[in-house]
Amino acid sequence: MRKMLRSPGLLLTAAAFLLVFTSRLDHVEAHKEKHTPEQLKAFLEVFMEQVRIGDLLFHGDADTEKQLGLTLSKTGMACAMCHPFASDTHPHEFPKFQEQMQEFATLRDMINWCIENPNEGERIDVNSPAMKALEAYTYYSNKGSVLDAGKH
Amino acid sequence: MSDQEREWHEAERELKKPGERPDPSLKITRRTFLHKSLVAGAVSGAATYGWFPLINTLTMAYGAEAPFSFAWISDTHLYPKNVNTRFVEKATRAVKEVQAMKPPADFLIFGGDLAQLGDPVELRLGNDILKEITIKKHFIPGEHDWYLDMGKTWVSLFGNSPWTFEHKGVTFIGIDTVSRAPDYWSATKMSPKERMGHMAVLDGSVAGPWAGVGSDQLQWLSKTLSPIAKNRPIVIFSHNPLYEYYPPWNFWVRDWRQVHEILKPYQNVTNIHGHTHQVLYNEIGTMRSIGMLATSWPWPYAPQGVPVLTKPMIRVNPGDIFDGVGWGKMTVKPPKVEHEYMMWRPAVYAEAEVDSGTGDNDNQRLSPRVADQMWPYK
Repeated sequence: MRKMLRSPGLLLTAAAFLLVFTSRLDHVEAHKEKHTPEQLKAFLEVFMEQVRIGDLLFHGDADTEKQLGLTLSKTGMACAMCHPFASDTHPHEFPKFQEQMQEFATLRDMINWCIENPNEGERIDVNSPAMKALEAYTYYSNKGSVLDAGKH
Repeated sequence: MSDQEREWHEAERELKKPGERPDPSLKITRRTFLHKSLVAGAVSGAATYGWFPLINTLTMAYGAEAPFSFAWISDTHLYPKNVNTRFVEKATRAVKEVQAMKPPADFLIFGGDLAQLGDPVELRLGNDILKEITIKKHFIPGEHDWYLDMGKTWVSLFGNSPWTFEHKGVTFIGIDTVSRAPDYWSATKMSPKERMGHMAVLDGSVAGPWAGVGSDQLQWLSKTLSPIAKNRPIVIFSHNPLYEYYPPWNFWVRDWRQVHEILKPYQNVTNIHGHTHQVLYNEIGTMRSIGMLATSWPWPYAPQGVPVLTKPMIRVNPGDIFDGVGWGKMTVKPPKVEHEYMMWRPAVYAEAEVDSGTGDNDNQRLSPRVADQMWPYK
């Protein structure tokens, strides 16, 4: 900084940079370019494809489980048998203290708890495509719910 | 206003007309008994506790000639034994408890959904389990029993519906609310297994509004009731509720209006139904309606349409396979009937909204599923 103060050239350069940078802050946007309808459609398609896969897994579709190499249930139970329309999954209330686990848990933790306990299936990697799909379906089904993190 | 909301308003107008209620002399109370052994401290610990359920009783005035009781079991949803032993265990437990009733029940009603996927193996397994009950048994089918072979195995094992019989001054009727689904399978050439698969998903959209009484049974019901005195006690058993609770899950019959028209002149009608797997009570016009527990698993309350007269069941611990499930017992002690939810865990009714499974869901909004409407559906 002392060196900069001793050098008017450097100081001027820094001031010019700051001026340009701060003037651009007034126009900072989430996206530089406007999205085209095609882009938005493509984004939605990516999401809905995950919803679709999650929906099939949630409803115990054996082919989808097989394709993804999963065993989500060994009892014949599927998630949707206790949660039609993904009701009572309460994704909007996570993370929270989850009584069954006696710990602070995310939705993904809870999904694995249900797979391992009522379903007696094999837990899945919390970052796996199957987990993301199940999460996508659960959130999609509960869209519009009031965000209420921590609620029991 | 959405189509669904219009339906609700119409149902309200039709079914909740001012002054129209089951016999006005009837009063309903709810009582909770502690099992004597619990009061005395004879048992302790949750595991033992479960064997002595608290009995929650719905009491209503009733007319009958002599005391008697009957039992209800439904929604066992049996898979073959090698797939799921839990459901077998719970069905067996219900059967043993019914058989152990003292004094014995006069008869058992099996209210449908014996099987999960309509497989003859499942239905025969259920038949074997139910054989332990030696009192008279009456059967009505559920959709899970029907759509693999269109009721062939069911009818060969348990006979046809509808039926009626008189017992100690009460008219009992059993109707089939499941076998008259609009054809959703022929156009797309579904296999029997695919047809059953769609029917077996509560929140699926392909099978559509499958629950209904049908014009032939409506005629039968009208003809059967016509010689009966208007104040005679009538109990109608059905798999689905005979009113509109939540159509997307077929918690209704689509022709409830016609059913209501036929039942309207009768002042003492009780509908006892399965399918909803939860504590439910409603009054619709002059009819009262009681939803029974499943032995297999409890459904959550629907996001809309829970009757205001229902005191909701306590929300269930998903880690406890005996929570939220059980069977039912009706004890007729003229002029009253006591209805008991024989749930296998201590609490049946929720005492606080946070524990209710309905009041705690005020932040929840739900959307229908999508995968079964996307082509190609797999």
